[in-house]
Amino acid sequence: MWKQEIRLAGSGGQGLGLAAMVLAEAALANRLYVTTLQSYGPEARGGASRSDVTISDQDIANPWFSDPSLLLALSQQAWAKFGSRLANGGQAIVDLDLVGESDRPAVFALPLVRIAQTELREKLAANMIALGALGVLLGRIPLDILQASAAQKAPKGFSRINQEAVARGWQLMAEAKGGVTRGRGVGGA
Amino acid sequence: MAAELISGNEACARGAIAAGLTFFAGYPISPSSEIAEALARLLPANQGVFIQMEDEMSSLGAVLGASLGGAKAMTATSGPGFTLMQEHLGYAGLAEIPCVVVDVMRVGPSTGVPTAPSQGDVMQARWGSHGDRATVALVPASVPEIYQMTITAFNIAERLRTPVVLLYDEVLAHMRERVELQPPAESALWERPRASAEPGPRFQPYAANRELTAQLPNFGEGYHFHVTGLMHDERGYPTTDPETVRRLMARLDGKVEPVPGWVPPERYRLDDADWVFVAYGITARVAREAVDRLRESGVAAGLYRPRVLWPVAPGQLSEQLGRARTVVVAEMNQGQWADVVARYRPATVRVLSQGKLGGEPFTTEELLGLAQELTAKGATVL
Repeated sequence: MWKQEIRLAGSGGQGLGLAAMVLAEAALANRLYVTTLQSYGPEARGGASRSDVTISDQDIANPWFSDPSLLLALSQQAWAKFGSRLANGGQAIVDLDLVGESDRPAVFALPLVRIAQTELREKLAANMIALGALGVLLGRIPLDILQASAAQKAPKGFSRINQEAVARGWQLMAEAKGGVTRGRGVGGA
Repeated sequence: MAAELISGNEACARGAIAAGLTFFAGYPISPSSEIAEALARLLPANQGVFIQMEDEMSSLGAVLGASLGGAKAMTATSGPGFTLMQEHLGYAGLAEIPCVVVDVMRVGPSTGVPTAPSQGDVMQARWGSHGDRATVALVPASVPEIYQMTITAFNIAERLRTPVVLLYDEVLAHMRERVELQPPAESALWERPRASAEPGPRFQPYAANRELTAQLPNFGEGYHFHVTGLMHDERGYPTTDPETVRRLMARLDGKVEPVPGWVPPERYRLDDADWVFVAYGITARVAREAVDRLRESGVAAGLYRPRVLWPVAPGQLSEQLGRARTVVVAEMNQGQWADVVARYRPATVRVLSQGKLGGEPFTTEELLGLAQELTAKGATVL
């Protein structure tokens, strides 16, 4: 059985709830089993945010997990909270500029927000760049399906930029994986 | 049917529509609010009525009025609102008014932890309203099952003219899961019994049918009758006659007895299990994974998942658990249903209660750790 327990963590307003939905819909479109759990209550309205997505090739018995096998951390707070809880053999993606002290194996530090701002001129697209990067680590959902899901779930006017962002993130991670295991330093690309 | 990704609360709302819901009155409260939100959109589009009331007491009051008028009616709430509804729940039970009450459980008591998951309202669903009374409470464990079980809740409520409580926790309410919704055939929807006698001075609205259920007409169908929360005779008029009261209470108890047979429990790897988890709702899903892991390490583990918490079928429970040596009842409360299992267990079965508070579900590792700990203590032969 193949199963990944994915946690998207950061601050409220970074669009991680939407990213979880895009990922889940893409998994569904690719005929995988999927469940999502979202942080709820005050933290969903600012402060810390967390969305959990489980994807498997078999029926998912238990959607609840404490230690993710794939972690995305878009804030220092999120990294501090969940970075130490990565499951054995797990991998993480953190934002190069927002998260410090992440310099360890299987952690990819990528300039997600910086690229969103400088290349795509839209800071909010960092979530979709991160999603593209996650897609490479996930290895079970093709880029075009992720892009289609990102376009479909996009807020009005964001469809094209979301697709571009996913593709850019995919490329970023492909490069990072092709180079050093620790992604720090690949950011200036 | 196409596969979709929807939340438990959305599944509940859509199940209610599929069951023929025509009236919803409620007051928003996390983590149940999305049910009202969805129905505010769906009901008017399906020729139904949606009302946001001033509080939970009036919400269930409006639901009962609509039901007496012939509507398939429901409300949805969470613990604090469920507390306020207890008075009307007792009334609906005694006056035999069909309705569905959804309680999405969060940590209590009082306003507790909004809105972390809990399974703390199990006993409240049974005994929350004063006095002895018959109760029906169903517990789904997945998003597709919430859809199906909402339909079942209406079926039971209508057929037996009783309130039915649908209990699930915040995790199931908000988790999204793959579903392929199949609306039920018309014939799969149960209707309330119709009055078999003509209107007139001798009409007896509380004369029971063969399923021990009163056959009240709907208000406005030309009958003149009386509905009360006082103990009543078959005409519906108040009585203090002890024998009439005893007969009425026995009938109300008796009519819900078939429910556990209509909604059978899930038996997962139970046939040869001597180590059994009893769990319901989200906890059952964690336990199912723990069972698989224990099996991989050579332990004959199994899961008994009740889908009806109330009424209890003592025979069903003792028969299903008969082969087990150790039964662990895992639930997100202080052991509310464990007491039930302990009460009806076969004498050879040892029952341990494992509660968890604090607003987080069990993890698989916790249940596995528990199994190891108990083994080390020699609690059972593994």
